Amino acid sequence: MLIPCPHCGIRPVEEFTFLGDAKPQRPQSNDPATMDQWFDYVYLRDNPRGLFDEYVHHSGGCRSWMVVTRNTETHEIKACVPARDYKKKQS
Amino acid sequence: MSDRVLPLKALAKSGRYGASTLAPGVRLQVLHPMGLVTVIARKGKSKSVQRALSNLQDVTVMDAGIDQWYVQGPDKKLATTLKQQLAETASVIDQSNGRVTLRISGPKCRAVLAKGTPVDLHANQFAIGQSAMTTMAHVGIHLTRTADDEFTLSVSRSFSESFWEWLTASAAEFGYHIS
Amino acid sequence: MSGFRLPNGGLIDRNQPISFTFDGKKYYGFKGDTLASALIANGIHLMGRSFKYHRPRGVITAGAAEPNALVELRSGGRKEANTRATMVELYEGLEANSQNRWPSLNFDVGATNSLGAAFFVAGFYYKTFMWPKSFWEKVYEPIIRKVAGLGTASKEADPDNYEKAYAHCDLLVIGSGPAGLMAALAGARGGARVIMADEQFTLGGSLLFEREEIDGKGGLDWAQRVIAELAVMPNVTLMPRTTVFGWYDGNVFGAVERVNDHVAVPPVHEPRQRYWRIFAKKAVLAAGAEERPLVFGGNDVPGVMTASAMRHYANRFGVAAGENPVVFTNNAYAKRTVGKVLDVSERKIVNVTGGKRVTGIELDDHSHVACDAVAMSGGWSPIVNLMCHRGAKPQWSEKITAFVPPNVGEAFVSVGAANGSMLLSEALREGAVAGTLKGKAPNIPSCHDETFVITPFWHVKESMGKAFVDYQNDSTAKDLPLAAREGYEDVELAKRYTTTGMATDQGKLGNVNAIALLAEATGKSMAEVGTTTFRPFYTPVSFGAFAGHSRGHHFQPVRKTPLHEWAEEQGAVFVETGLWMRSSWFPREGEDWLAAATREVLATRNSVGLCDVTTLGKIDIQGEDAGAFLDKLYCNTFSTLAVGKARYGLMLREDGIVMDDGTTSRLAENHFLMTTTTANAAKIMSHIEFCHQALWPDIDVTYASVTEQWAQLAIAGPKARATLNKIIDGAALDDMNTPYLAAREITILDGIEARLFRISFSGEHAYELAVPADNGNTVARALMHAGAEFGITPYGLEALSIMRIEKGHVAGAELNGTTTAGDLGLGKMMSTKKDYIGRMMATREGLHDANRQCVVGIRPVDVKDKLHSGSHLLKRGDAPSMTNDQGYITSVAWSPMLNMWLGLALLSNGRARYGQVVKVFDGLRNIHMFAEICDPMHFDTKNERLHV
Repeated sequence: MLIPCPHCGIRPVEEFTFLGDAKPQRPQSNDPATMDQWFDYVYLRDNPRGLFDEYVHHSGGCRSWMVVTRNTETHEIKACVPARDYKKKQS
Repeated sequence: MSDRVLPLKALAKSGRYGASTLAPGVRLQVLHPMGLVTVIARKGKSKSVQRALSNLQDVTVMDAGIDQWYVQGPDKKLATTLKQQLAETASVIDQSNGRVTLRISGPKCRAVLAKGTPVDLHANQFAIGQSAMTTMAHVGIHLTRTADDEFTLSVSRSFSESFWEWLTASAAEFGYHIS
Repeated sequence: MSGFRLPNGGLIDRNQPISFTFDGKKYYGFKGDTLASALIANGIHLMGRSFKYHRPRGVITAGAAEPNALVELRSGGRKEANTRATMVELYEGLEANSQNRWPSLNFDVGATNSLGAAFFVAGFYYKTFMWPKSFWEKVYEPIIRKVAGLGTASKEADPDNYEKAYAHCDLLVIGSGPAGLMAALAGARGGARVIMADEQFTLGGSLLFEREEIDGKGGLDWAQRVIAELAVMPNVTLMPRTTVFGWYDGNVFGAVERVNDHVAVPPVHEPRQRYWRIFAKKAVLAAGAEERPLVFGGNDVPGVMTASAMRHYANRFGVAAGENPVVFTNNAYAKRTVGKVLDVSERKIVNVTGGKRVTGIELDDHSHVACDAVAMSGGWSPIVNLMCHRGAKPQWSEKITAFVPPNVGEAFVSVGAANGSMLLSEALREGAVAGTLKGKAPNIPSCHDETFVITPFWHVKESMGKAFVDYQNDSTAKDLPLAAREGYEDVELAKRYTTTGMATDQGKLGNVNAIALLAEATGKSMAEVGTTTFRPFYTPVSFGAFAGHSRGHHFQPVRKTPLHEWAEEQGAVFVETGLWMRSSWFPREGEDWLAAATREVLATRNSVGLCDVTTLGKIDIQGEDAGAFLDKLYCNTFSTLAVGKARYGLMLREDGIVMDDGTTSRLAENHFLMTTTTANAAKIMSHIEFCHQALWPDIDVTYASVTEQWAQLAIAGPKARATLNKIIDGAALDDMNTPYLAAREITILDGIEARLFRISFSGEHAYELAVPADNGNTVARALMHAGAEFGITPYGLEALSIMRIEKGHVAGAELNGTTTAGDLGLGKMMSTKKDYIGRMMATREGLHDANRQCVVGIRPVDVKDKLHSGSHLLKRGDAPSMTNDQGYITSVAWSPMLNMWLGLALLSNGRARYGQVVKVFDGLRNIHMFAEICDPMHFDTKNERLHV
């Protein structure tokens, strides 16, 4: 699989490490009443067939954290954006 | 003797090695010690740091990630100079001892490097002055094309001997010269 | 009668004879021969014994699909089992031996199992070796293993080298026959970067053995002109002897180049094989088609081969398979083979006579025809494999009675016979079109087409004797209907039940025939039955090629500290810690590790010791928000740390479990230096990068690893300060300018920049001194010199561990991914005033349960007893069981200070049980003993030595 790193260009998957679903957002509050949100954030993950946004680290390259949108069925990669830009898009 | 500054220099003995080709396919040099500094722009200071770096004399500025550069020069005190010049606009971290720089040149330099990295090094795809951060022989490296058939490459110090073994093994079939 | 060399013809060099041995006997061939062609030329047809029935076997093909002629090539560490003789390029001194036979190929005792053959049908193993159950492990399996299998692997080290490499191209052409050559030509003339790969050692594909006419000249002649043009173009790379074995995501192809398989010993600086990863913008599959056998009785007798194989031996190698061959075919194409033609629509072969060599055939009209070779043709199967490697299935074509490649998009297309286009003109045209990436396609040369007409016909029902479908695994025409009757109707199940297609040839010859038989048995169509899943590798790839340079010492990179040379000089014994070589102990004459480590501890605690601690991660963190960022990462607070001070920090995972610990110092208002454990350095760096870029991208912070920039030494013991004072520049160290937990930037030895930290892992009055790595060896020597009057002693990881265990300091064995800060006795470090990673989930009640296992000290009741880490703890009187388990010992050490073994353990509700005696159970060593629980700090309980 080839990943289009925005900084380095197209590189093979061996240069990257994967963390998992990028959709879950870290809750903002330390109020104990929000514990359910924290449980969800730490443990609950979808496993979709189809498009999937995933945190990817170019550990063998520029060391950027990015979010790759990949079709889990066809492995087609639709997008790869810096993690900070993905976060902006989400909020 | 254990006062040696870089054991790799002892490993890299001058001479002609590998296949007995008419002319060596590759020339290898260990460029150490030299000044090598990591510069990372502080928040919002990316453009000003880029401008400051482009005005520097007698150094090579190389891309090393987002808002991050390696600055390389003969002066081992380069970090001190840069700290003064860039002040609060950038973090300046000396890596002169932490990384080892090698030069690989010659008609077969790309063939050797292609044994280790998936980056397309064809002359039309990788321009002079262009850099890439990639992995070669399981080791993270920073690669820069410096002339037609010439690249400099830096690697973390602790990996340098292991990496050198791979590099020379890969260059052997073309005949190589260490200077 | 047997095969023989034709008086002229063939692409062999009759001026270069080559000698080789087969089964110990010496023979001659020519340069340009394969082992198979040379054997046939010498009249040898018996080349192996089949897997199950030990039937005598000879070649069936002239190429990669060969299932029978499997030999052990070479000897010693170079021996290669199951090598297809058809793919071995003959070289001087080649050594080959047949397989799967004893005592010899000619007289094989194993063949007697053919007497019981009626029982050895598919499903034999499943049904037979089931009772008694105990017999499987001790009787049946060992016997089956001894009897089964083909070649044997060498147990010696492989003396050759292997390499890996990457390549990029605009056009990858797989196959160098007429279609491939046109594609490569089209791409190359248009200026594209072209790679053309072919598994054969000579380019040209089918033009090497078929008599074609192209552009008014011989097909081979035309091919050689095209190859000559391509060979001098700088944008073209020709790769003969290279098999493209797999197609992967991103249009990446895997290939193995047999760089030096065709010489006895590779030239000293060259690899034997090279593993390529090829990144192609577009690829063209011009791999051709594989001719299918027909399924009839005796279709495996040596001398029976595909019609194209017979032509291949005659035209390319100048070898005749026999004097009077018969051609048995369902299509017109095979009739270009020299021999007496039998079309399936007229007559059928029901059996072949002759055991080790064809002597004749029996027909369905009960007549017998004498002959010494049979050329069979059941049609042609496009070699679709690569295009199906990413999950698409081939499509059934009634037109050519074969499966053709699926449409997998523009980046990978098939041309010519691989595409199911059986005419030469189609091959030339499709190749030209597919290879034209820019501008106009080149002119298509004229050629002579031969129409392809085929009668769908698969097997002779009236066969007498075994009719083989899969030659390598010995599956016959009877096996497929049996599978269907037993309920294994699905093609994937029938495959496993009959083992059809499961041998090293992956059923290249037999799979489509098997599908036809299954279709007949189940009443389904060919399309409905379908093919089994195609996966890489098209043909076997050696492990050496996968490993490349990464074997033995080079399996992974070796990391050495800047003090490695100094440590070696001091006699260090090194231990692998991840990739690092860390000095573990420094033995003197006659010392084992324990004696050395004990001496090192005593010397350090009594005077001064010196230890290389460079490998711990060091991360430079700067920026206006650096302090606030550290507050997010650590459970305790760092924004309040004064400049010039160090603080112990604990990092949690987001689920509340402890991740790592370290000492972080503040060098300036916006400048911190973080340390991590050696093992977690890389992980923490990635974690920091994630936290900034993904969680808090708007804060002003930078981070850079400086682990390698600084050599770092621990100087510990009552004489540590005195030793250091001899090398530092300026004012001597005292409790005012360098109090406990100070972090200072200083110079030493007349101007060498350094960082000094007064921190202690050993519990002694200690420092860590960091110097730029180039100065490492110099400074270590200087310290040894400075401390000589105090008997300064280098100490390693073992002594370091002993001292920290004596002091009850937790390390990796306790930070094991299951423990919380509370478990470690560090619960008070968790701030309640700020957000940090892990804060919320650490409050979960399960992580505060009173019965959780927490860190305690442990000592044997009998001081003569030894403790073993990993031993489990139980209440006295409880029998060892999962329910009675109370915890386990995490770290142990022989303590020179207390003269006994002691350790740390995780014990349920441990902190309330000091003074209690527990049972210690070691199930591995069958040890039952007693130990007392105590405070983890075994030695210097008031930490007085820190301030000595």
